[in-house]
Amino acid sequence: MFLAIENPLNSSELIFPTLECMHILGFAFSVGTIAIVDFRLLGLGMRHQTVGEVASDLAPWTLIGLALMLTSGPLLFSSDPDMYYLNWVFDLKMVLLLLAIVFHYTIHRRATMPGTSALRSKVVASISIALWVGVIFGGIFLAFI
Amino acid sequence: MSIANAIQSIAFLTDFRESVWVYPVVMAIHLSCIAVFGGMILMTDLRLLGVAMTDRPISEVIAKFRIWKRIGFCIMVTMGALLASSEAEKYSPNPFFWAKMCFLSLVAIHAAIFRPLVYNNPAELDKSPAIPGRAKLAGALSLFIWLGILTCGRLIGYYEDAQSAGSPATKPAAALTVPVSPAIVVQRSPLRLGISGPRDLQENKRKHYVLSNRESS
Repeated sequence: MFLAIENPLNSSELIFPTLECMHILGFAFSVGTIAIVDFRLLGLGMRHQTVGEVASDLAPWTLIGLALMLTSGPLLFSSDPDMYYLNWVFDLKMVLLLLAIVFHYTIHRRATMPGTSALRSKVVASISIALWVGVIFGGIFLAFI
Repeated sequence: MSIANAIQSIAFLTDFRESVWVYPVVMAIHLSCIAVFGGMILMTDLRLLGVAMTDRPISEVIAKFRIWKRIGFCIMVTMGALLASSEAEKYSPNPFFWAKMCFLSLVAIHAAIFRPLVYNNPAELDKSPAIPGRAKLAGALSLFIWLGILTCGRLIGYYEDAQSAGSPATKPAAALTVPVSPAIVVQRSPLRLGISGPRDLQENKRKHYVLSNRESS
């Protein structure tokens, strides 16, 4: 409640939407580049390159996206913590986000290395897409619940 | 205004606007497309600028994303059109909405100009030792246009039209608003523009919940 009054974020009407744009740009980079790798894992297009090549090309941009997303996100949260704190969809979003990030840097990364079976690649890619889309759905739904 | 009213009064769009689940689902699909396919647009533009994926030939980057960007664009526009037309009355006086539409038409103009110059003969770009100026220009302009679309799209939700704020349609919901302290009024719903009818009630319920929770603690 105090944060809601004193947080400088709330002093200007433009800061919140600007941060939101950063947030969206951030996940366009991170989720976008991860999805490209997932599409490759699923065998959809980009067959001239190995999965590993696609993944290493895009890894820095995934990281840039995550950095943008994870700085703007908490700032958005700080503008009205109560509203997020009391919202079960927000909890769900955070759990999905944590799972998605951990999954990305463990199982997903391993699946981009040579010697991964086609079936495994497809399962990993599907889980990855589902997790990230879940995070985005969480972000929208927390404003509607 | 009457055209806008006629559009959003189409039974199917009215149902869509008032549905508790379909509306946010469509909005979330719209955003997921921005993430997945917007990411591809960003990567293509940055490749043309010589910033990203520089180990790959430009022709390859353009070719491999092209079909996906097209599919994504179609889904994104369909979802966006649903969202906008179902709230036509709120969108039609909104300057950010029209700015977004202008940026979207710039996408078409950009394609008309740069497709023959850049995108349709990428093999030529691969051969030249440095990335040609026209390719960089295409990437930079595309980046600018899409960032414009993103920004205007987000700002649509923050514009409050004086007329619609006091219109009878929104009054019943407003009357139900529980008295709140200024701290709570500060809270914003970035998606408010898209919210009407049942969702307004829901929001008020939540505010009430927040309030009563605070009082009990």
